[in-house]
Amino acid sequence: MSDEIKSSLPTPPADPQPGAVQSNLPIWIVVLTLILVFIGGLYFDQHGGWFKAQVYGPYASADQLELYQPKSGAAAALAHGKVVYEQVCGLCHGVDGLGKPGQAPPLAGSEWVTSAGFNRLAHIPLVGVNGGIKVQGKDWNMAMAAMGAALPDADLASVLTYIRSSWGNKASEVTGDDIHRIRGTLGTHPAPMSGDQMSAMPE
Amino acid sequence: MKTGLPVIFAVVLGLGGSTVGFVLAPAVQLGSVKQTTVLNSTDLYPPQRIGDATLGLQVYRANGCAACHTQQVRQEGVACDVGLTGPGKNPQALSNLLSTLTLTHLTKEAADTVADQLTAAGGKVETHIVPAGADLDRGWGVRHSVAEDYLYDYPVQLGNLRAGPDLANIGVRSPDANWHLLHLYAPTSAVSNSKMPSFKYLFHLQKAGSTPSPEALNVPSSFAAPAGYEVVPSPEARQLVAYLLSLRANQPVYDAPFTPPAKP
Repeated sequence: MSDEIKSSLPTPPADPQPGAVQSNLPIWIVVLTLILVFIGGLYFDQHGGWFKAQVYGPYASADQLELYQPKSGAAAALAHGKVVYEQVCGLCHGVDGLGKPGQAPPLAGSEWVTSAGFNRLAHIPLVGVNGGIKVQGKDWNMAMAAMGAALPDADLASVLTYIRSSWGNKASEVTGDDIHRIRGTLGTHPAPMSGDQMSAMPE
Repeated sequence: MKTGLPVIFAVVLGLGGSTVGFVLAPAVQLGSVKQTTVLNSTDLYPPQRIGDATLGLQVYRANGCAACHTQQVRQEGVACDVGLTGPGKNPQALSNLLSTLTLTHLTKEAADTVADQLTAAGGKVETHIVPAGADLDRGWGVRHSVAEDYLYDYPVQLGNLRAGPDLANIGVRSPDANWHLLHLYAPTSAVSNSKMPSFKYLFHLQKAGSTPSPEALNVPSSFAAPAGYEVVPSPEARQLVAYLLSLRANQPVYDAPFTPPAKP
């Protein structure tokens, strides 16, 4: 008992030099604090979204928010088609689908785009066009590279769906499977077709 | 003054810390918020307020509406429902499969698995993202509030007390301007147990002519003006209602995805 009291009293300054003072802080408080900080850190990592402005409850992370973005359905395909169209096609055919004189014919209201079938339409981006083509009674004599040959099936399908249902066009949708089938009928290096060859094809 | 330097240091730390935490960090996080694209659409959200609706925000502010009404919808969770849109080539196998599966209240991962199973059986499916929460159950909105909702509000009228219902989505819930005018003039005539004070001073009485004025409010008989008079809303009342009708937080955006009901 007396030893305990003695040890809890500050030791008399035997040494005039200041030295390290014995801390009264129990070690378990330090350990507990560190454990709580660690748990807090874990919780923040799992639920905090790392300060990203768009991530907050009920979403715990940017990945989770991305996962819950609706990506299926006709509307999603159409929105994706617009993005691809504006990157790949819009430069020449115009984001409004009206085409550009001397560069590319219009797609809005074009009989090539709004045809009942899309076999002929799908060949244009897949193999390219070389030579005269008649759009809405007007002759366009220029070449188009196979701009869609490098696109994945689903992307090309969504572009075709987009141009067939935008700017007043109202034609059926094109699926990735359709593009896959049409692509399968082409050789490895299909030659660009002329307008006359295209016209002879079934829609 | 021996402690001068520590005091100055503490003051700088305190003020600097709160400036960083309350001003700088939010500005870095949200300062660059601008119009965003509605999911799966090319529309921009939110639309810019025009005309009366712009002025109405100041009427809303002047009348202290934010003291009793919030404009912030909370959301506690999100779930996925898988919907079948086409029976496919083998309806029998599909219906057998359907009887073994749960299609609603799934996580995204579970919903994707179910969708894959159904697609493999030949069905056409669509996954719906369905937000959930008490505020949404009350019909106060379709998703939680996002920063873009307040883009054209200055000052933002968030509110912190809900003596009345949340108004973040009131323009969708009650799209009738005349209902709003009537509700402001005599709240209990529109909602029988309303606790809202009457905003009669936003209206004035004028002598009724031989035919009622086109602007006159059609007030129920128990709240009607004295005989020979009619109730006409002031410009402020019209601006306030235009502002209320512009509160339409119902579009899916990146921060708050959901599947809107199919358009007919």
